[in-house]
Amino acid sequence: MLKAPTWNTAEALVVIPAFNEEQDLGGVIRQIKELNEFDVLVVNDGSTDRTAEVACDAQATVLNLSQQLGAWGALQTGLRYALRNGYKYVLTMDADGQHEAVWIWEMFQPVISGDADVSIGSCVRRGSRARKLAWVLLKAASGLTMQDITSGFRVYNERAIRVLSGRQATLLDYQDVGVLVQLNNAGLRLTDVPVTMLPRSSGTSRVYHSWLVVASYMFQTLLLGISKRKVRNRDSKHSPSSRQER
Amino acid sequence: MNSMITSTIGVASAFIIVFLIRKDRLHVRYGVWWFCVAIAFIVFGLFPTIFDRIATALGIASGPLLALTLGLTTLFLKVLTVNITQSRLESRMIRLVQRIAILEADLKACQDRAGNEESIEQDRDP
Repeated sequence: MLKAPTWNTAEALVVIPAFNEEQDLGGVIRQIKELNEFDVLVVNDGSTDRTAEVACDAQATVLNLSQQLGAWGALQTGLRYALRNGYKYVLTMDADGQHEAVWIWEMFQPVISGDADVSIGSCVRRGSRARKLAWVLLKAASGLTMQDITSGFRVYNERAIRVLSGRQATLLDYQDVGVLVQLNNAGLRLTDVPVTMLPRSSGTSRVYHSWLVVASYMFQTLLLGISKRKVRNRDSKHSPSSRQER
Repeated sequence: MNSMITSTIGVASAFIIVFLIRKDRLHVRYGVWWFCVAIAFIVFGLFPTIFDRIATALGIASGPLLALTLGLTTLFLKVLTVNITQSRLESRMIRLVQRIAILEADLKACQDRAGNEESIEQDRDP
């Protein structure tokens, strides 16, 4: 699982958006730091608990948002910070401990080697039947062929960071279909990296905690997928989707 | 009677628009649109037969039906443009909040560096 890095890890930034994650965040950052002295950035999305202090104590840089922007708004802040500070790679992880740091080298590998612009930590086993049905519908609507389109465990290279830091990506709400379609439309190469994920040890998901929120999420994301889906005849010039399948 | 009510609504709307612009509660850019609507109310209130004539010319049986359809369409377009403006403002607000957070972190880093340099200088010259 672990591989020694053969590249300059100072060029990579780990971005963790966090909202009231004081219980798990410290452990997540420590696991990353034990693996390698990565720069870790926590984007505190208006937490009302000790999330910011916990992150500071764990030697992470903290950005405090003055207004709550949601998961994607917080993540995009991290991407803009990375671009401003000259990082070439960004790894995004959840603050709730679901993503295991031991997979970080595998996640970086296809991006560092130049085989892909974005790698997505894929764990299809974690989904319930309802979640898997949602994935099928969202893939059909958006034309995406990735295995785990809702995974927030990803590595972006500089080109992908530039695409996602732009104004066009600002009105997205989640780091899922909208983000992947935008990357796909920009001709970037996306690849799945099989990983394992842990169940949440505390708190609740921002999306999957209420049927009403899930229904609203599904309608919004389906409409977004259909609206932004790449037009077929334009695919002939660049065909990242065919590369995805390979 | 009906036309008098329409004209009165138009006059009242015009006064409200002017009042809101005067109190800086409504941007004059949006005020122009609503003022035109108020004027339209006054004109169609004073000359209610205009719609009947237009309806006849267009081959529509009922003047009020034409007025209602046009009114609803205009309202639909207006609400849509409001949502477009709202989305643009939301995008600007999000980017501004992000920028503030990044600049705050830069400022803190600068302050920390300045503090460290100061303490090093103090150590050199006790």
